Amino acid sequence: MSDAPTDAPTPLDRDELEALFEDAPCGYVVLTPDGRITRANRTLAGWLGTGPDALSGQRLRDLLTLPGRIFYETNFAPALDLQGALEEVALDLAAGPSQKLPVLISARALRDEQDRHTGTRMILVRAAERRNYERDLQGREAEAIQRLNDEKSTAVLREQFIAVLGHDLRNPLASIVGATRMLRREAASDKTLRVLEMMETSVHRMADLIDDVMDFARGRLGSGIAIQRRVAPLEPVLRQVAAELEIAHPGRVIACDLAVEDAISFDEGRIAQLVSNLLGNAIAHGDPRSPIRLTAATADGRLTVSVGNAGDPIPPEAMDRLFQPFFRGEVRDSRHGLGLGLHIASEIARAHGGELTVQSDPDETRFTLAMPCR
Amino acid sequence: MTAIERHNVRVRGAGDAPMMFAHGFGCDQHMWRFVAPAFEDDFRTVLFDFVGAGGSSLEAYDPERYSRLSGYADDVIDIIEALGLTGVVFVGHSVSAMIGVLAALKKPALFSRLVLVGPSPRYIDDEGYVGGFTVDQIEELLAFLGENPMAWSQAMAPTIMGNPDRPELGQELTDSFCRMDPEIAKGFARVTFTADNRDDLARISHPTLILQCSDDIIAPLAVGDFLRDQIAGSRLVVLKATGHCPNLSAPEEVVEAIRDFV
Repeated sequence: MSDAPTDAPTPLDRDELEALFEDAPCGYVVLTPDGRITRANRTLAGWLGTGPDALSGQRLRDLLTLPGRIFYETNFAPALDLQGALEEVALDLAAGPSQKLPVLISARALRDEQDRHTGTRMILVRAAERRNYERDLQGREAEAIQRLNDEKSTAVLREQFIAVLGHDLRNPLASIVGATRMLRREAASDKTLRVLEMMETSVHRMADLIDDVMDFARGRLGSGIAIQRRVAPLEPVLRQVAAELEIAHPGRVIACDLAVEDAISFDEGRIAQLVSNLLGNAIAHGDPRSPIRLTAATADGRLTVSVGNAGDPIPPEAMDRLFQPFFRGEVRDSRHGLGLGLHIASEIARAHGGELTVQSDPDETRFTLAMPCR
Repeated sequence: MTAIERHNVRVRGAGDAPMMFAHGFGCDQHMWRFVAPAFEDDFRTVLFDFVGAGGSSLEAYDPERYSRLSGYADDVIDIIEALGLTGVVFVGHSVSAMIGVLAALKKPALFSRLVLVGPSPRYIDDEGYVGGFTVDQIEELLAFLGENPMAWSQAMAPTIMGNPDRPELGQELTDSFCRMDPEIAKGFARVTFTADNRDDLARISHPTLILQCSDDIIAPLAVGDFLRDQIAGSRLVVLKATGHCPNLSAPEEVVEAIRDFV
């Protein structure tokens, strides 16, 4: 035996072929062209709890569950007829009154010289585990989609809630402003005046926060930040904002270098809000010993406004998220707000057809608004 | 997009009289490839795919339009009108038989005769009516189609390499047979298997041929008898062919029966 040549396998004898067919680890079936079983192997018969002879003469279709039978007639049989072969079709055998046996079926049509369909060979492989896995996956996919949709509608509700809340908070705030004005007229002492001043500052801060939150909610709810563009002189708007911030932060210097030669169409309130936000950030984060530089210029029909400050650069890992809502960087001081300012500023830039960008290195951190002049 | 493009319409044949072939649930116009050519000498044959099947335009799928069989009937009318035809011999297989009935009732002048192959006006049993299935069985079928994309994808995607012995099919195989978008097919299955068009039958005035197969679980013989009784002057022919697709399994018998009728 050890001297026998090993390159050519010995042909299988009859018994071996018989065993290969009958006891193969898959079901074998031979069918007539109209789907009747002429031969089925022992493996398949065993799955169905019967003998191979009992299967002969039955229609293959009748071994399937009812949906499988309909699918077999409407899809499987015509596709096999037209294509000549099918692979890995997932169907269920009806193994008992209520027992399903999931299988994968591959089939090949046999044809004679005249191309007539003379029969079909088919194998069936059990696929219960695989089918369970697929069903499980489908279930999880459906669940994930459901959860995502729930999450989305919750998010919309939350933003609507924020918009409504912000709107309703303005009324009591207006009452407080009115009340402080009345009290100021009748103020009895310096101390009362100082307290009232602090109250007014707080009310303004709170009003600003509410404005930010509402801008954000509006942007999120799809309407975007609404702007009303109008051709107007830009330089006075920029100087006004710079002056306000210098007054609010004694000791800080804002150096203006303005050269706006073209007419600009813009929303005064919104651009003032954007520049005020950038200057406020520069004051909060920049080196207090160096002036903040506000520049504006036009060229080729585009306006650029930039705010630069000296000081530590923005860490690279923070750069990507700078314009995202609720980004607060390393700020620990609670007076620095919700982290919506830069997000809203960039939305204002976008509403003007422009964009807000940032460059930051050890020499300077510079935010730049670039937008078309009109 | 015109109806001609939307439905991948193919017009052939040397004759003047138009004959239109409509495929049913589960396949596309290839279903008629052994039948339609037999009529090309005497008729102008029209083949097409319903939206979702074969070479149709999938973007044209409108769940609202196709939530009832009458939406599919409108497709048939659109195609006939786009081709400027009248007096069409309509040959519809399976659910398309009823789609043809609905189209003929909407626009009678467009049609001359109806050939209904394996038709059923209602698949679900009812009092005094045998459709072949219970409500639960149809729901089971729809659930099966919904949860079993593997049954779909493989039957739809042809094994192009699987046909070395039929080189003449090579070209056509690249477009594949019986292709159907699984999502659209689910909708089509629901519309098909939950339809009830029994009341429409008595209104048909066109000469009608009913071809019923022996041993067809989708449309049992009792359904063929019901149709013959309901459609005045109709002729019922029970084919020797078994199964649900005699147009593929016994095309000669189908061709002969249609020829006798026209």
